[in-house]
Amino acid sequence: MNSPVRMEPSAPSAAPGRGEVALLRILVVAGEGGSAGGLLQNLRQWADDGRLEVDTAPDLPRAVRQLAGQRWDVVLAVLSNHADDDLAWWVDTLRGATGSPRLIAVAQAPSMGLVLRAEKSGVLDVLSLPLRREELVRALERVRSVVSETAVPLPLVEPHAVGPYALVGQSPAMLDVYKLLARVAGSAATVLVQGESGTGKEVAARAIHVNGPHASGAFVAVNCAAIPENLLESELFGHEKGAFTGAVTRKIGRFEQAGNGTLFLDEIADMSLALQAKILRAVQEREIERVGGSETIPVDVRLIAATNRDLKEAIKQGRFREDLYYRLAVVTIRLPTLMERGDDLVLLTAYYVRLFAERYRKKIHAISDRALELLRAHAWVGNVRELRNVIERAVIVATDETLRAEHLPDELRGEETTLADRPQGGLLTLAEAEARHIARVLAHTNGQIGAAAEILGIHRNTLTRKMKEYGL
Amino acid sequence: MTGPPPVRVEKALALMPELEALTPLRALLVSIARPDEATVWSSSGPYLTLGKRGVHPDELRRRMPQAFQRITEHLQALFKGYVEALECQQRGDAPGVVVALLRAGRLEEQVGRHTQARNWYEVALRVAEALQDRRPEVEVLRALGYVCLALGEYAAGARHFQRSLALAEAEFDQAGATAASEGLGDVALAQGQWGGAQAWYSRGLRLAEAASDAPRAGRLERQLGVLARKQRDLAAAGEFLRRARERFEVAGVADEADEMARVLNEQGRLDAQLGRYTAASAAYREALAWAQRAPRDARLELSIRLNLAELDLEAGRLLEAEAELRRAEQVAIGGHVIRPLAQIYTLMGRLRGAQEDETGFVFFEQALELVKAVERSVATEAQVYHAYGLFRGRLGQQDEARAYLERARELFDSLGEAVERERVEAELRALSA
Repeated sequence: MNSPVRMEPSAPSAAPGRGEVALLRILVVAGEGGSAGGLLQNLRQWADDGRLEVDTAPDLPRAVRQLAGQRWDVVLAVLSNHADDDLAWWVDTLRGATGSPRLIAVAQAPSMGLVLRAEKSGVLDVLSLPLRREELVRALERVRSVVSETAVPLPLVEPHAVGPYALVGQSPAMLDVYKLLARVAGSAATVLVQGESGTGKEVAARAIHVNGPHASGAFVAVNCAAIPENLLESELFGHEKGAFTGAVTRKIGRFEQAGNGTLFLDEIADMSLALQAKILRAVQEREIERVGGSETIPVDVRLIAATNRDLKEAIKQGRFREDLYYRLAVVTIRLPTLMERGDDLVLLTAYYVRLFAERYRKKIHAISDRALELLRAHAWVGNVRELRNVIERAVIVATDETLRAEHLPDELRGEETTLADRPQGGLLTLAEAEARHIARVLAHTNGQIGAAAEILGIHRNTLTRKMKEYGL
Repeated sequence: MTGPPPVRVEKALALMPELEALTPLRALLVSIARPDEATVWSSSGPYLTLGKRGVHPDELRRRMPQAFQRITEHLQALFKGYVEALECQQRGDAPGVVVALLRAGRLEEQVGRHTQARNWYEVALRVAEALQDRRPEVEVLRALGYVCLALGEYAAGARHFQRSLALAEAEFDQAGATAASEGLGDVALAQGQWGGAQAWYSRGLRLAEAASDAPRAGRLERQLGVLARKQRDLAAAGEFLRRARERFEVAGVADEADEMARVLNEQGRLDAQLGRYTAASAAYREALAWAQRAPRDARLELSIRLNLAELDLEAGRLLEAEAELRRAEQVAIGGHVIRPLAQIYTLMGRLRGAQEDETGFVFFEQALELVKAVERSVATEAQVYHAYGLFRGRLGQQDEARAYLERARELFDSLGEAVERERVEAELRALSA
């Protein structure tokens, strides 16, 4: 059992620490045909405590110029009648702006849908016109609290290297995986790696390959879900010249390329039943035929398959061959989700920060407490792959030695500023709570109204009406 | 509990016969297709294309009334246009007939039905030819010229613009002559005939200046800037673009936001060619801001985003390029703008090529599928084959590279596209060397 990863605060860095007064630089942008003068005056009157530096941009193009030229903490933008389009544009524009300023959107009677979309995009707040002092002051206070962060040093990580990849983690769940990997690698058995998207199935497969009897051969990976169905067969088995339109030359397939090595078939559940039959034959007979060819070619490969689906359920639904499943699942390894790995998140974060800092020639030695909080609070649907992406982007935009919350994507930052978390007026109205719940269920069902209505236990027409009412 | 999984677009489209009547349904299906979150983060996520997105039959059914409404509105407008033409005919108002038919054709063009638009314009032309006043004919011929240009029928387009110009000059119709010159310049530019384009745009510019038509003059200067950039006269290109921008500023930017966006988009391309990455990026960002001010034009926005992505790609900023391309993909799918979608996938393929990722071929295959099966475009198909050939060559697959480049050359030949054909030819020679 490993002790939890502890991270102690380090000396204050360039950004203001807790308790220090941060000077906020605010750019006020008027909507189309409007003037920012009134807003500017309000801002100065209501928050004139010497801690604000405010400027205006008369229109969007000039705002873009100002954003490119200087660093701003906040953009206070008035949305036009096309509030949704404007909001999407602002979110996109601020991604590329210096210092990743936060957005406070101002709109005439913003709909619940707009507010929810704004939250999801990491917008700090949506205020309605006419502007009220207490709302604006509260929004600015939230900006202040967000910009004060404390740096904590990154822990040292000892990865188990797998070629250019690495297995990182000390959680009990991962220790079990390491043990199984070590046991299975020495044999030539076919392995099925199961786990949610982004849990590291290919890294596990590579670890088996490099530590197994086929290590001297090639490791060839094929993503069965990425390749169009009509091309997958020729990709796997190859084809003879002229076998079909576009077969301009003989092609050696992945089975042959992996000769004496390992063939990794990722997302195997996405394969058609016809192709599954051909894979089964290749596994059983250890021979293949190129598309359009008549020659039988013997193949000696170790097969490792992976999936993020429940194959037993797919068998029940008739979408996956049972005989193939038992051929592939001689040994099954299940990879844990990032949520199941506890403090591995911190180790993985440290590992990726160092990896990308080296790649992008940055010197990053610490992460802020707030950034770490955001990382810990995130749901990580994409598991380690999502974390890796988030850290890579954060390293690219980081400008000093500490990775801060402002370097994280809007989606993560949005999670710290949801309506429910607001310090004042935090209690939601019934309508707000209902709209929020409907939005969550719709996101869960990928917008499928029938399924959402079933979960909510209401008629689909009622749901449609409520969606319209809340602007969802 | 959440019902069956969505159907992949590639499978959904395979079930749909190629029928004109189903075009709006195909458009609706594409526009509502989306990836599920698990797919985005799966290992196939980086290779996600339109074909791998999912659609729920339930959602398609739910959205059908909206599609029917749009179709009905479009048909109503067309029928109304025809009835107006008929009323004009009854009154003996032949110019009115031409105006009504032209309007109907423009409605067809707005929804991307270029062939149908041409049919309306051809009827309008027959009516206009019988008139004593030749100005309606000048206008119809110009409309025909542009629709031919959109269909890639350059020779036919040039013929219509030539006739429009001759008639306009005979009628002392300066605006008509200016517009026809611009059209002739556009055809020449599309075919890579720099000398011809230069002559026509310059002539148009002189006429526009004489008529104090600032917006038209600005547009022509922008096109001259495009031309100068393509001819690698970058100083001249910068000067033309500066003047174009000034013209629009004087003309009143509020009415010319889309033109400002186009000028800045071109300025970005010029800065990129000059190796000024930051300036190019700023120009594109400002172009997007102007585009945001103008009425929504997905094609304009996509053009800017594609340039921005290409800039990132060429600067080796692959993450940014990918993020921009994914945003552009969303705009294209939401707006059902298929040709730029094929360009987006071509760039995605190039990006994967830069990462030496062989599976990147799936993007070229998807782009070809789109331009062959969903919205035919020979010019885009040629560009895709060109990039596909380079991708294969980069991975050391010389035979396939040669085959794809030869196909690109054949397609550019069929279009009469001289400059691109020469580029492909040079790459084929390099491959054989």
